[in-house]
Amino acid sequence: MKMLDAFRSALQSIIVNKLRSTLTMLGVVIGVAAVIAMVAVGNGASAQAQSSLLALGSNLVTVMPGAQSDSGLRGAGAQAQTLTLDDMRAVQDQLGLTIRAVEAEQLTGRWQVVAGTNNWNTQVTGATEQYPIVRDWSTQSGDFFTDSDLRLNAQVAVLGATTADNLFAGADAVGQTIQLRQVFANRARIINFKVVGVLEPKGTTFGFSRDDQILVPTTTAQRVLTGRTNVVNAIIVKAASSDTMADTTEDVRSVLLQRHKIGDAANADFTVTNQNDTLAAINNVTAIFTLLLGAIGGISLLVGGIGIMNIMLVSVNERTREIGIRKAVGARRGDIMRQFLIEAVALTGLGGLLGITLGFLIVQLVQEIARRSQLQLLPIVTSGTVFIAVGVSVGIGVVFGLYPAMRAARLHPIQALRYE
Amino acid sequence: MPEPVIRLRGITKTYRMGRENIVHALSGADLDVHPSEFVALMGPSGSGKSTMMNIVGCLDVPDAGRYQLAGVDVGRLSDDELAAIRNKHIGFVFQTFNLLPRLSAVENVELPLLYGGDRRARRARAIAALEVVGLADRVDHKPTELSGGQQQRVAIARALLNDPSMILADEPTGNLDSRSSAEILAIFQGLNEQGKTIVMVTHEPDVAMHCKRIVRMRDGLVSADEVVARPSRAADELLTGIGAA
Repeated sequence: MKMLDAFRSALQSIIVNKLRSTLTMLGVVIGVAAVIAMVAVGNGASAQAQSSLLALGSNLVTVMPGAQSDSGLRGAGAQAQTLTLDDMRAVQDQLGLTIRAVEAEQLTGRWQVVAGTNNWNTQVTGATEQYPIVRDWSTQSGDFFTDSDLRLNAQVAVLGATTADNLFAGADAVGQTIQLRQVFANRARIINFKVVGVLEPKGTTFGFSRDDQILVPTTTAQRVLTGRTNVVNAIIVKAASSDTMADTTEDVRSVLLQRHKIGDAANADFTVTNQNDTLAAINNVTAIFTLLLGAIGGISLLVGGIGIMNIMLVSVNERTREIGIRKAVGARRGDIMRQFLIEAVALTGLGGLLGITLGFLIVQLVQEIARRSQLQLLPIVTSGTVFIAVGVSVGIGVVFGLYPAMRAARLHPIQALRYE
Repeated sequence: MPEPVIRLRGITKTYRMGRENIVHALSGADLDVHPSEFVALMGPSGSGKSTMMNIVGCLDVPDAGRYQLAGVDVGRLSDDELAAIRNKHIGFVFQTFNLLPRLSAVENVELPLLYGGDRRARRARAIAALEVVGLADRVDHKPTELSGGQQQRVAIARALLNDPSMILADEPTGNLDSRSSAEILAIFQGLNEQGKTIVMVTHEPDVAMHCKRIVRMRDGLVSADEVVARPSRAADELLTGIGAA
């Protein structure tokens, strides 16, 4: 019996037993849909985590104050005052052209911001002149402040796109003056800043809007806003490329160890982290996550496969006489075997196709829910997942159809013909 | 006398029924059937006639003895080789018709060509075979839409499809009324006149009288073998039957 006839006969038998076939296929349909939807959600989460990380700038090596022990940070980063602007300048001078750029940031907390009659409340951060290069973030209007602004502790500010919108309602913010206000120990402080630039909009990262912030020169932040002179919260180095990140990490560490006069790297009073490592860690976590989700789908596929085997055994049993008749008119073992195998594969294959459709619908649904609830999750269906799901479902047809098909092929023609 | 198409020598076959009972279905039977013979195989139940048919039809193999089919020693063939012989050289007709209920008449008739022979010509040949048995107008009917006699004629068309050298019929009229029986026997006699070898198991003496030779079996052996001097002609009975009605 040729393949085409076998397929036709398989489809016929599936159509004749509509309800039974549908119920049997349901196991495979749900399994395949589960694998596709779950892996898509896993991939989406993974991609989201990666793009969030890369949105902070690419090829970054970050130095934070405080040592890292096995149990985590020893001393909270914001309080340990071991990194200075001079450390940043030293890295800049000594590493020179082997790195792309470097900047240092100091957090100053939230401030009330007033521009004309508009009030706003936002985070103000000190940054240095190479911030736009390090963070891959340029201004949409005006310019970023320069190293001379830093030397002069200039009271200039660069606004995030959302902040600029809220303070100036669409009008050009560059050249305008804003007031930073903070009430501290019953003493109100009011400081004027001149807006020199507005950053391009970037969207949210890990659920936080990055467009609502104000950047001022780090020196100004230190002397005018916080009084924590020279201390910075982070030094961020942009390596020349992804390949040189490991080297850059080592270079930065040795420059700072030398400056801090620490002989043993284990006693360092700062921590250097490298974005590749963070990415690898995130990828590791999301891979496990995706694997876990896939495994759950895989188990439902397995259960579906057992259902296929069950129904194929019933079908072989029911059609014992048919097998006898086919054998009597000359069907060989291989013919009978092929007929039942193809029937099982047709069941699972069809189930697989329906499962893909259902999987895509679920993915659409997840996207819609994510969009409505403003979740940053875009499930990703890769062609690889689809191929694997179809391959696995057809494979399940072969594996779980094999035993029933073998039983059918081995039937003795006389006994099969006599079967009532 | 030409070489026999079927040559059985000392055929034995035992079955185990349950744990203790061993049934000696055949205990050393001999039989020769020559081309163009029309043989009735008779005997009480348990005489081994069905087992004999199964072995002749290559559906079963003997425990001992030699079976030569058209000069080929069948005892040495594998399952798949036996299947090929059933496909090419033997046409079966059963008491219970054994049609596949899901398939139409023509699809049932086509079956043997699915497993060997000229596959592309199968539809045309199936229709031609249905014409031979007078069912050209029932091509697309399902077995359940046909009378018993018509179903048996479909089964005969199926048996004829690969132009086998012999037809084996196991009580082909057992489930039919006398008119349908006569129709089936008329078809068999027509085929036999064209040179087909036919072996038919029956326990009805008047059915056996349509054959040219009657072989009787008892206790797993051939007990009598006689030539029918003047076989009844089913075609004549049909005519007189219609005349009487």
